[in-house]
Amino acid sequence: MAKEDSKVAMVAVLTIIMILSATVLTFVFGFTKPKIDAYAAQQKKKAILNVLPGATKYKTIQKGNLELYKGYDKNGDLVGTAIETKGPGFQGMIKLMLGMNLKNDKVLAIKILSHLETPGLGARITEPWFENQFKNKQFNDKFKAKSDVKAIAGATISTQAVSDIIENTIQKVQKVTDGGE
Amino acid sequence: MSLWKEFAKGLWDENPVWVLLLGMCPLLAVTNTAVNGLAMGLATAFVLLGGGIVNSLLKNVIPHKVRIPCYIVVIATFVTIADYVMAAYFPEVHKLLGLFIPLIVVNCLILGRSESFATQNPVHYAISDALGMGVGFTWALTFLGIIREIFGFGSIFGVQVLGDWFTPWIIAVLPAGAFLTMGIVLAIFNVLKSGSTSEAECH
Repeated sequence: MAKEDSKVAMVAVLTIIMILSATVLTFVFGFTKPKIDAYAAQQKKKAILNVLPGATKYKTIQKGNLELYKGYDKNGDLVGTAIETKGPGFQGMIKLMLGMNLKNDKVLAIKILSHLETPGLGARITEPWFENQFKNKQFNDKFKAKSDVKAIAGATISTQAVSDIIENTIQKVQKVTDGGE
Repeated sequence: MSLWKEFAKGLWDENPVWVLLLGMCPLLAVTNTAVNGLAMGLATAFVLLGGGIVNSLLKNVIPHKVRIPCYIVVIATFVTIADYVMAAYFPEVHKLLGLFIPLIVVNCLILGRSESFATQNPVHYAISDALGMGVGFTWALTFLGIIREIFGFGSIFGVQVLGDWFTPWIIAVLPAGAFLTMGIVLAIFNVLKSGSTSEAECH
């Protein structure tokens, strides 16, 4: 560049480009947000109903500092209570949905929502046989990998992590609900 | 200089992955399955094209000293558009690629093409170059993804192609597998390209 750029031009051009960029993004954001939110809500509903077998709708309630989802079947009877929870895994946070029957003190089902475990090893926590083994587990079970929880070969830490998350969450929920429903 | 030549060079002769070795970070990170590689490639191609067109059009407006921040803002705008649109319309893929979508901003391939080509040439050549580089990047990522998916899961685009007898090589879908696959494929391509390298050329 032969001629020296003027400072005013530099500031002006940068500012204009920034404003244009922000304008464009505002429109794109406004246009895509409803779709993104709808997907998130739909995923959440699917996950909640997934861990409360038989439930067709749910109600969100606040107990202490926990957000609980009460699931009801088509006759309006309470199926169970679900909660979204997370805890440290082998590599990152494991997020899961936990469905419980607080009357009988047992787990109804779990669903892993997101995780960063090793592909092929810890990532197998999302496989049905693994998730299903927590069905009907009593709250006072040991939740110990290789004992009452079948461990994934080569991924005992991930297995134990999921068990710990479930056990800790149950305790938290029991504390706020005081053993009731 | 012809439009076709500018497009075609990106496919093989100046392929961004196999020859220029640009954009290695997303390449190594997301090519563990074919569909991830394809999605990443298409998102990058979109940003290349958008950024290339706008930066080429703005080349006489932008003062030389602040050109890099200007290019980056333009590129970041297109990346954010891609991010939102993917989250809205392809949420499953978006979830898999996660953080690597916003990171397209720092893909050196995109800034490199803006700096070295789009802003040095008329806009129709910039489009041609961006399309060529985009397609070149996309096929390279998809190709690596297919190879790694076959070895790592025994499938292509999620369709099982190898039977129960096959024990998946987990390493192929781990980060180390990215380096191994990339290295081996690159070596094979280099041999194919050069025919045979004579001793004297190797120092």
